Amino acid sequence: MNRRLILVLLLLLSLSVVVSAADTPVQGGTFRYGITVNPRGMFNPILYTEVYDGLVIDVVYDGLIYIDGNLQPQPKVAKAWEISEDGLEITFYLNEGIKFHDGVELTAKDVAYTYMTILHPEYTGVRYGNFEVLVGAEEYKEGKADTVPGIEIIDDYTIKFKVKEPHAPLLTSFGYGILPSHLLEDIPVGELEQAAFNLNPIGSGPFKFVEFMTDQHVILEANDDYFFGRPNIDTLVYQKVAQDTIPIYLQQNRVDYVEISAEQYEQVKSMPGIDVYIYEALSYNYICFNMRQERFADAAVRQAITYGFDRQTYVDVILEGFGIVANAPMPTASWAYTSEGVDDYQYNPELAAQILADAGWAPGADGVLEKDGMRLEFEFLVPEGSRQTEQMALLFQQNMEDLGIKVDLVFMEFSAAVDRVDAREFDTFTMGWSLGVDPDPHGIWHSTSLWNDPGFYNDESDRLIEAGRRETDPEKRKEIYAEWQRIINRELPTMFLSYGVTLSAVNQRVKGIDTDPGPLGPLVSRELLRTIWLED
Amino acid sequence: MWRYILRRIFLQGIPVLLGFSFFLFLVVTIAPGSPVTHLRGVPNLDTSVIEQRKAQLGIDQPFLVQYVRWLGRILRFDLGLSFDSARRPVADLIKERMPATITLSVASIILGWGIGIPVGILSARYQYSVFDYVITFLAFVGISIPSFFFGLILLYVFALKLNVLPAGGFFLAGEVRTLAGFISYLLLPALTLGLGSIAGVARYMRASLLEVINQDYLRTARAKGLSERIVVYKHALRNALLPILTLLGFMIPSIFSGAVIVESIFAWPGLGSLAIQAVNERNYPVIMGINMMFAVLIFFGSIIADISYAFADPRIRYE
Repeated sequence: MNRRLILVLLLLLSLSVVVSAADTPVQGGTFRYGITVNPRGMFNPILYTEVYDGLVIDVVYDGLIYIDGNLQPQPKVAKAWEISEDGLEITFYLNEGIKFHDGVELTAKDVAYTYMTILHPEYTGVRYGNFEVLVGAEEYKEGKADTVPGIEIIDDYTIKFKVKEPHAPLLTSFGYGILPSHLLEDIPVGELEQAAFNLNPIGSGPFKFVEFMTDQHVILEANDDYFFGRPNIDTLVYQKVAQDTIPIYLQQNRVDYVEISAEQYEQVKSMPGIDVYIYEALSYNYICFNMRQERFADAAVRQAITYGFDRQTYVDVILEGFGIVANAPMPTASWAYTSEGVDDYQYNPELAAQILADAGWAPGADGVLEKDGMRLEFEFLVPEGSRQTEQMALLFQQNMEDLGIKVDLVFMEFSAAVDRVDAREFDTFTMGWSLGVDPDPHGIWHSTSLWNDPGFYNDESDRLIEAGRRETDPEKRKEIYAEWQRIINRELPTMFLSYGVTLSAVNQRVKGIDTDPGPLGPLVSRELLRTIWLED
Repeated sequence: MWRYILRRIFLQGIPVLLGFSFFLFLVVTIAPGSPVTHLRGVPNLDTSVIEQRKAQLGIDQPFLVQYVRWLGRILRFDLGLSFDSARRPVADLIKERMPATITLSVASIILGWGIGIPVGILSARYQYSVFDYVITFLAFVGISIPSFFFGLILLYVFALKLNVLPAGGFFLAGEVRTLAGFISYLLLPALTLGLGSIAGVARYMRASLLEVINQDYLRTARAKGLSERIVVYKHALRNALLPILTLLGFMIPSIFSGAVIVESIFAWPGLGSLAIQAVNERNYPVIMGINMMFAVLIFFGSIIADISYAFADPRIRYE
C-alpha cells in the first residue's frame, strides 16, 4: 500500500517534471532561420526595400507598434495611443527607459527624427506616400517649409501626429523601426543611403547586430538589456540556404526554421523531428485584362472568360491543393475578406459560351469568336521561372480554345514582362501581388494608382476606396470593403486565380511558436523570436 | 619576354577590353527590363519617386552618356555603386565574394588536371584495353552531363542519402573552421565544376600522347633499349603535354562561367548568386563589374598559357 502510494507520487512527480520541462522556457542556444536570398546590407528601417533586409531590421529595431497574428496593431515602443474623436490626431505615449544598443535612451525625439526623415525633400527611400497625409508633409517635402506641423513632440515620452483627414491605414504604418537620432542627425538625409550605420545598425530591439557575411549568414545576439525582457535564445542566425536543397538542410539540422515550396512538402513532412505549418498568405495571383482594349471593355467578356477557366483544377492539380480559388482581391487571411454576395464563378463552359453569344460574339471562319471586326484572339504574357505558372498558362489556353478564344502564349523573362506591363503593351498577363497588413486597396485599384494595370476606372470603386481610408471604425470599414469586393467581383478587371498559401518547416526542438499560425506565420513575422526557446 | 608581355597588355589587351566593355554595356542596357522594376507594387508611390530614382542611378541619360560616365569611373578604378537598395560599392560586393569563386575555380582546375592527366596517360598507354574503354565511356558522360544535374545527383547521394557531406553552403555561423570541414564543403562543388575538365583533359591527354607515342624518335628510343616507362614518361610525355597547356588558356573562361551555375546550386558564397541576381535585376554596374573582372582574368589566363608554352617547349621564343 505504502509502496504503491510512493509509486503514484513518484509518477506524479515525474509527470510534473515532464510538464514543466515542456512549458518552462530554457535559455540559451542558437536558432537558425533559413533564407534563400542574401540580404543587401541595407539594415535601415526607412530605406530598405528587400524582405531579407527586413528580417534583420525586424529584430534589431522596435517600432511604435507591432502587428500581431490577427493583423492588429499592438503596443511596443508606444505603451498606448489615443486617436482623437475626429480621427485627425494620434497621440503615442512611449515607454520610459527603452535603451538603444549603445545605451542611449529612446525618446520622442528619435521617433520624430525617424518620421521627419521620411518626409525630407532629399529622402531617397520609398515610404513618403504612406505619410503624405500628415499635416504639412507636402510643403516640407517640396522644400516650402522647414517644419512639419503634423509631427509634434509633446514631451520626451509623448508624440502627436496630425493628419489632414482621417486615414485608417496610417496606424499600421507606425511599425517602422525607430532610428537613433543621436547617431544619424548629423548626416545629410541625401547621404543617409551611404552611411556606414546601415551595415552596422543600432536599434532598441531584442537582438543586437553582430556580423553580416555576404551570402553566408547574419549573426545577431540576444540583447541582455532589452526593455521587454531578454530573448530566450542566445544567438539568432539568418543562414543562407540553396532553394533546391532545403530538405537536406532540414534533415541535417542545419536550419531550425525555413519556408519551403509546395514541391518539397511531401519530402519534408515525412522527416522525423520536423513539423510543417501551412497557412494562408496575404497574396494572390491573377490574369489581368487590358481594359483599354475595346474587346475587354465589356464586363461580359471578362466574366465569360472567368467562367470558362477551370480554376479549381488549377488549384487542385497544378498547385497540388496549396492555394484557395480567389474571386476578389482580398485574401481569406485578411480581416476584410468576405464571401457574402461574391460570385464564385464556378467552372461552367456552357454558361461562358452562352454569355459570349448573348454579348454578340459569333465564331468566324476559323472558329475564333468575332464581333464588329474584333477577334477574341490575344497574347497572354507569362513570366518565366515558375513551372506552376507555365502549366496554368497551358491549361488556360486549352480552356479558352474550347470557348473559341485563341490565346497566344508569350513566355518572357520577368523584368522584360514588367516593361511591357508598365508600357501598357499587353493584352493579358499573369502575375501576383503580396499585400500589406492593412486591407486598403488604394495602391493597386484606385484609378490614380500607378499599379492599376488593367486600367480599371470605376467611380463607385474609387468612392468606396476613399471612404474606406477615411473610416476609422473597423466594423464600418469592413462593410465598405465588402461592398467594394462585390463591385470588383462583378466587374472583374482581372481574373483572380488563387490566394497564396505559405509553408514553413520548423524543427521540433523549437518551442513557443504559434502552432495555429495566421498569415504572419508560426513566428508571427519575427515577433516570437524573443520568446521562443530551444529544447535539447 | 617582358617586352612581349607588355606588348600583349598594351597593344592587344587594352583595345580588346575597351571594345568588349563597349559592346557589353550596349547589350546590357538595351536589353528589355529596367533597374527600377523592384519598385513595382510599392504602395502609394508617385511617378516622381521613380523618376527621381532613375536620375539618381543615371539611367535617365542616353546610352553614350551612361557609357562614358562608367568608363570615366573605371579609369579611376571605381566600379561605381550597385543599383540595389543598399547602394554599396560594386568593388566591395565583388571583393567579398571573389575569394570563394577563386577557391572553387582553382580547386576544380586542380581536380581536372590532377585526375585528367594521369587518367589520360594510362588510357593511352593501355589503348583499347577494358580500362581505356571504361574511361572513354565515362569521359563522354562527364563531358555531356549538365553541371546542375550532376551537382544535384551528388547532393542527393552524399548529403541526403549517405549524409556524409553538408548540403552545400559554407561553414555555419559558429562552426569551427577546420581544414577537413573546409574540404567537406568544397568537395562537391569542386567536383561538379571540375567534372567537365577532368573528362576533357583526359581525352585530350590520351589523344595527344597517342599522337607522339608512334613517332620515329620514340621508336629510336625504344630501339636504344630504353624501358617503355622511360620512353613514355621521359620522352613522350613532355611533348604530349604541350597542346594540353594551350588548353588551360581556353578552359579558364569556361571554369569561371561554370562557377556561376555551380555556386547557385550549392549556395557557395561566391560571385555566382550575385551575378545571377544582377542580371535578373538589370543591375548594370554589377553586371559590368563582374564581367570586366572576368575579362581581365581570362586575358591574363591566356597570357599565362602562352608563356608556359614557351617554358615547356624550348623551340618557342617570344621576342
